[in-house]
Amino acid sequence: MGFNLEWVSRVRVNTQAVLKRAQSIQGQKLPKKQWQSAWLLKAVTCIDLTTLSGDDTPSNVHRLCMKAIQPVRHDLLRKMDMHDKGISTAAVCVYPSRVADAVRSLKAANSSIPVASVATGFPAGQTPLESRLQEVRSAVNDGATEIDIVINRMLALTGQWEAMFNEIRLFREACGDAHMKTILAVGELETLSNVYKASMVAMMAGSDFIKTSTGKEAVNATYPVAIVMLRAIRDYFLCTGHKVGFKPAGGIRTAQESLVWLTLIKEELGSEWLHPHLFRLGASSLLADIERQIYHEVTGQYAALHELPMA
Amino acid sequence: MAGPTTETVFNIFRSMDSGPAAPSSAATAQAWLDHHSHSLGFFIDGKFVHLAERRSLSVVDSKGGQVCGVLCAEEADVSHCAASAVSGFKSWSLLSCYQRAKVLLRLVGVLGLHAQCLSELAQLCVTACSPPSLIRLLQFYSSWAQLRDTLLSGWTPLGVVAVVTSDVSSVYSLMLKVLPALAMGNAVIVVPGRSVAPPALLMAQLFSGAGLPAGVLNVLTGSDVTLGVKVAQNPNICYVTYSGSKPDGLALVQASAGMGVPVSVSPCIGATCPFIIFESADINSAVDEVIEAAFKKKSEVHWVLCVQESVCENVVDRLKLRLAGLKCVSLQSEADRSLVDTAVQEAQQQGATLIQSCSAPPSGPLYPPTVLCGAAPASPCVVSPAPGPLLPLMTFRCHKEAVAVGDHSPHGLATSIWTEDLTLALETAKNLSVGSVWVNSHSVVDPCLPVCAHKDGGSCTDGGQEGLYQFLRPSVSSPPIRSSAVPLDYSKFGTEVSPAVIPDPASSPPSYLQFVGGKACKSVSGCSVAVQSPGGGGVLGLCPEGGRKDVRNAVEAALKVQPGWQKKTPSARALSLHALAKGVEAKRQDLATSLHTQTGVSMDEAEKEVELSITRLALWAAYCDKVQGGSLPMPKSGSALSFPEALGVVGVVLPDESPLLSMVTLLGAAIASGNAVVMVPSQKHPLPTIAFIQVNGQLLSRAGQGQGQGRGRVGAGAGQGQGRGRVGAGQGQGRAGAG
Repeated sequence: MGFNLEWVSRVRVNTQAVLKRAQSIQGQKLPKKQWQSAWLLKAVTCIDLTTLSGDDTPSNVHRLCMKAIQPVRHDLLRKMDMHDKGISTAAVCVYPSRVADAVRSLKAANSSIPVASVATGFPAGQTPLESRLQEVRSAVNDGATEIDIVINRMLALTGQWEAMFNEIRLFREACGDAHMKTILAVGELETLSNVYKASMVAMMAGSDFIKTSTGKEAVNATYPVAIVMLRAIRDYFLCTGHKVGFKPAGGIRTAQESLVWLTLIKEELGSEWLHPHLFRLGASSLLADIERQIYHEVTGQYAALHELPMA
Repeated sequence: MAGPTTETVFNIFRSMDSGPAAPSSAATAQAWLDHHSHSLGFFIDGKFVHLAERRSLSVVDSKGGQVCGVLCAEEADVSHCAASAVSGFKSWSLLSCYQRAKVLLRLVGVLGLHAQCLSELAQLCVTACSPPSLIRLLQFYSSWAQLRDTLLSGWTPLGVVAVVTSDVSSVYSLMLKVLPALAMGNAVIVVPGRSVAPPALLMAQLFSGAGLPAGVLNVLTGSDVTLGVKVAQNPNICYVTYSGSKPDGLALVQASAGMGVPVSVSPCIGATCPFIIFESADINSAVDEVIEAAFKKKSEVHWVLCVQESVCENVVDRLKLRLAGLKCVSLQSEADRSLVDTAVQEAQQQGATLIQSCSAPPSGPLYPPTVLCGAAPASPCVVSPAPGPLLPLMTFRCHKEAVAVGDHSPHGLATSIWTEDLTLALETAKNLSVGSVWVNSHSVVDPCLPVCAHKDGGSCTDGGQEGLYQFLRPSVSSPPIRSSAVPLDYSKFGTEVSPAVIPDPASSPPSYLQFVGGKACKSVSGCSVAVQSPGGGGVLGLCPEGGRKDVRNAVEAALKVQPGWQKKTPSARALSLHALAKGVEAKRQDLATSLHTQTGVSMDEAEKEVELSITRLALWAAYCDKVQGGSLPMPKSGSALSFPEALGVVGVVLPDESPLLSMVTLLGAAIASGNAVVMVPSQKHPLPTIAFIQVNGQLLSRAGQGQGQGRGRVGAGAGQGQGRGRVGAGQGQGRAGAG
């Protein structure tokens, strides 16, 4: 679809009301017992297991891929009768240069888990357009089937929404068949209205997912920001009938938080969105805590870190 | 369906159900009830009083099971309780402000310890209670207790205050009356509705544990509001304040009229509040909040959703999506269910379409959240809302119509408006005739916010500094004098024919007229009554005998001019009041003579009263532009503004004493702040009032006062025929002598 300025300009966001809504979501009772286990496993299947460090090498990327294939200890899954239900993380997410390593490791393990790559001058997006496009193409060439692009915050902060739309369009073309997740870097967008507008523009330009942050900004995935993005997704769905996915990322570390995120999605968009094709959690250390919680639920004891396989 | 223990992880994984809510425990509350053998006595003089011979009433939980019994108080208990309250008042009022504040603060700690028990007990009795908000109340009023003599110097507590609530009232609204009364140094007799009785008794016990002297807080339980009337009749009671449903409040006011005890009511339960969404609103937030307001919170009010036509479709679309995930709401009883069913059927027959989260279960006290689209102000579901999760949705075209649609109801409690447009928000807030307006929020409640509803919303301001004055009187005034109850037949009220005045050829006393809508006129009935001279020796004059219709005419005339008067600038109102003072000054001799002949006071004293009256008018003139609101210290985010507003049409019933001074005191206060007045002069001493009107008639009519002088049956019910005239007589009389 084309660029529709009216959808961007008509937005009104009341910050206090959004904060209040976020508070009420956080105050809700979370599922207990086997409901908690099931929800945590759902969270596991929605995780984009991520490593985005300067010191990434083929060996730690390989470890990550193996953990993605077997995110929860087999015996624990068996106790819940979930060992044969295909529990794995949704994807592994790496820098473009590590895509080939990840693809190789997963292929060797006969896994179909998709490899996601960040691109377009991640995390700042402050490189020339041509090199940002080139990054996307090379990641796709190396076998990444999901691309997490970052938007150009300069265009958003100066209100050049149409220019931003056109840029994202170019990335979309460069992605080809790969899924495109657009990172809004909400920590640098100043206002909730800008978050809404950026979400709308990203969806109009053909994003499959909109994603909160790179994990490298000062403020990352917060509930108020997520509420605004989810409402934009809902509004876009009401206008076009098209369902766009949502990916919070950055700072999500505990099982408890992941349950709140699931509750938030269920409340705002309904259970329909609680599937890996419409919801992802960008995280690295979250998985360890979820596994510990599941260990506790299954065995009634708290696990020491060394009792669970590392990533 | 699989039971909760057998549901497999895989099934949940696929359905993503949230699972059953954790069962709530009531062990602590049950232990407390066990300790009292499930039968609670009265709380008098710091201890439970259990009398085996009293009738017992059962308090039931939401499923109809018995929670405990409470006793039904009789006359003897009322006088026992009142006597204990009188002695409690003595010891409590002798304490220093600091000591009283300390007791209230200590209760914060005590309540913290027993919050679990209190909230469990309230839940058992199906009463709303949130310990954090009670703690906030306590902290707020303990600081007022500390500051009474500093910030409210010149005011003194009333004595023994009765706080009456109806059956469905919450613990919070009960405490919103009890705590300020205690903080100001009064003793309190609580007459709680049945379901709030056990929590009230527990609170009384906790107070006692926190060091409140015996007798300061007493609780009497009974079957219905008639116990409140019995308490009001006790001569030791100085003030009765009520919170709860409207019918009970009305019964209390009617039964206690004419006893000389001021009664104020806050009938906040069951009121209808509009929720107005403008096209400039954050629609997503507004939809979320209206769902919370109407369906999630256990609310004491009904909401009506008013949406601007241009965004109605957007709102409806989002409501459909957001409602889809909601579960059924439990109703109070099976009877409520049939009321809800009838209401929905009726609405559907009138063409309303439903948005429901799921279809209603075939039977049982459960109903899904339901929006009735296509309602109108005339729809039964708007006029008399059913007790269930139903939300009528109406549309309006423009900003002006939003106010018209939202305002057109007898309730004037509160409105929530949603817009990001600041100018529109402020203008709408100003034009709505309601006590509280929430902008981009709803149901924000805090003791620092005064609540004073308009129209049928009662005669009482609760909360804030303003809410304290109901429990105080000026130190220079004397306590109101009690009289015995006068049985009144409201169906015949104001229609009786008075005995005819037989013309006496020996003397032909002058006859006077009443003053309505700027014109002097006779009474509608044409009847007159004679005004006796002080010794009873002769007839001073003939006054028109005002009746029901005269009151109606006066209120109508006043209603017509009041909005214009209110809109005048404060300085224009001040000028008018100064002119009144000048008028009195010019005719001081005539007025003094009138006072002298009417009341029999010496000419010296009469002249002094006239002099004081002139000063009083000048004082009110000076106040015109000094009445100010301000911003209030909200504990949470957001800001609160308070704007003082005129009440509208004020009924004033004048006392016999100092007829001129009391009149200008009350008249001046009322019109200085933009009200119109319907005034009834004292039955015994009407002539100085009439003289004042004759002097200032021209001015008053320009200033826009409807001055009805009904003589004869002077009654607090005078405005009741009209329903809109606010009768401020009770309070007016109490303050008149303040001069």
